[in-house]
Formats: sequence, structure tokens, C-alpha cells
Amino acid sequence: MTIDSGAALKRDDSPPDRVRAHSDQGQNQRIDAQTQHCLERHGTSEREAISRHIQELDREWDVERYLQMNAGLVSLTGVLLGAFVNRRFLVLPAAVFGFFFQHGTQGWCPPLPVFRRMGVRTRREINKEKYALKALRGDLDGPSPERHSDQEGR
Amino acid sequence: MNAVVHAPVTDRVRANTWPLINERLDAEAQLRLRQAAASATSDEFTKRITQLDYEWDIDRTLETEASVMGLVGLALGAVVDRRLLVVPAFVATMLILHATHGWYPLLPVFRRLGVRTRDEIERERYGLKALRGDFTAIPLAGSAAADRASAVWKAVCE
Repeated sequence: MTIDSGAALKRDDSPPDRVRAHSDQGQNQRIDAQTQHCLERHGTSEREAISRHIQELDREWDVERYLQMNAGLVSLTGVLLGAFVNRRFLVLPAAVFGFFFQHGTQGWCPPLPVFRRMGVRTRREINKEKYALKALRGDLDGPSPERHSDQEGR
Repeated sequence: MNAVVHAPVTDRVRANTWPLINERLDAEAQLRLRQAAASATSDEFTKRITQLDYEWDIDRTLETEASVMGLVGLALGAVVDRRLLVVPAFVATMLILHATHGWYPLLPVFRRLGVRTRDEIERERYGLKALRGDFTAIPLAGSAAADRASAVWKAVCE
């Protein structure tokens, strides 16, 4: 697996991507390396294969979706236990919502490192791969904004 | 007016949004792209791309709102009346529903206020990058895969 060391060392975990900013650098690099490897595989692919892969990317669950699912399930469980078993269980949804608020505003929350280690990507990371593939497919060649904004839809 | 831009059917938030609102958001983005194509300087491109990077998307807005509602409901349920625990239970269920199906009670409100999905924001962002010329240096089809891949990776990272 070849890694473009120039691009890999480039700091692209810009502050706006707060999940990347609060993930372990090694994990970010691993995810980037996998993406670059995928781009290399598609460097000479047929249009069909690239289109199919783009469709898969559109279906891929990003980290926000996993975090919402996780927060919902754990806090619902905690609320039910707190309501019907013992009030002290309410500390569970309190922690979940509290950390979820932190995630929404700042970026980090306890499940994040787990999901990142599993290789779950942010929507921005998935889009990076998607638009790189669109560029390989030839979608982004046209200079005219008319043609361009039509193509951006797919 | 250009053809309507169609998002993939897997964009579940758009699927749960009133079509007129999707069209309005798309039309506004296309107008901005047209304006950029006509007259933007390199600085203006950078400024606009940075603005898009910092724009709060629907997931972030929703998560922040849901946690506040959940915490308030939890506090009320713990301290005032146990029946109010239905609020955090409801919020939690809605989060699961949003994760799986894309729907959320306050979604129509946020969408009407113009809050976009990350995909919609990125669509405009990469449109701007393409207009700026970030993708012109990619070796043509037929060149070595490794060269094409690293050129395209550099273009999307800039």
C-alpha cells in the first residue's frame, strides 16, 4: 500500500472538522491512507466501477449517525431504568446528553475514539473520497458553471 | 434556470424535507456558484470555502438541540415530576429515528431556517473548488493510477 507521504503529512484536519481534531492522529492517518489506497485502485477504473463505488459511499454511515444511534439507545435505556427501577440510573442519560452536547459544540465525546478506531468516517472524509472519485471519473473537468452545477448533483 | 440538482436518494434528510425547501436551498447554492464563477477573486473563493467549512450542518444543530432538551427534561423529571421523564425518553427515541430514517420532529423547522446537510454544504464547497481550478492539474485518463490518485488527493485536500 503506497502512501503519498507529501499529502499524508499535510495538515488537513482543519479546525472546522471537529471530529478529526479530537481523534487520534494515527487513526486519522490510517483513514486517509485507506482512502488514498482506494483512489489508487480506481485510478484506472471504468466509469461504471467508479459510479458503483460512489453509490456505496452515499450509503456509508458516518460517525454522526453512529453517535446519534448510540446516544439514543443508551439514554433511552437509562431513562427507562431510572423511571422504573432506580432513580440513580438517571445519571446515565444525564452523562450521555451532557457528552452529546459537548460533541455538538466542541467535538469530543466518549464513544468517539471507539467508533474512530473501528474506522467510522466523518461525512467530510467520505465526501473527500467521493469528490476525488468524481474528479477521476471526469465530472469536474468542465470549466462552465452551468454544466458544473448540473454535474454536482450526482 | 438550470436543471434541478438531484441528491442521491440515500440522503435521508432531503427525503424527509418538503421538496420546495430542497429546491430553494439548491437554487440558492447554484446562484452563489454562478456569482463566484462570474466574478470571485482567489481571496473570495478562500473566504467562501472557509465559511462553508464552519457552517453548522443539520446533524450538529440537531445534536446540540436534542441534548439540551434531553437534559432539561431529565432535570425536570428527576426533581419535579417523574412523568416528565417522558421528555428525555422521547428525545432519545427521536435520535434513534433520525439515525435510522432521517426524520426528526424539529427537522421541518431547521430546514425552513436554511440548515443544510453536510452533503449539501460540501456539494457547494467542491463546486467552488472546481470553479477555482483545483481540479485542473489531474493527469488524463490513461496515465498511471498512482499519479492520478495522488493528484486528485492533493486537489481535494487543499
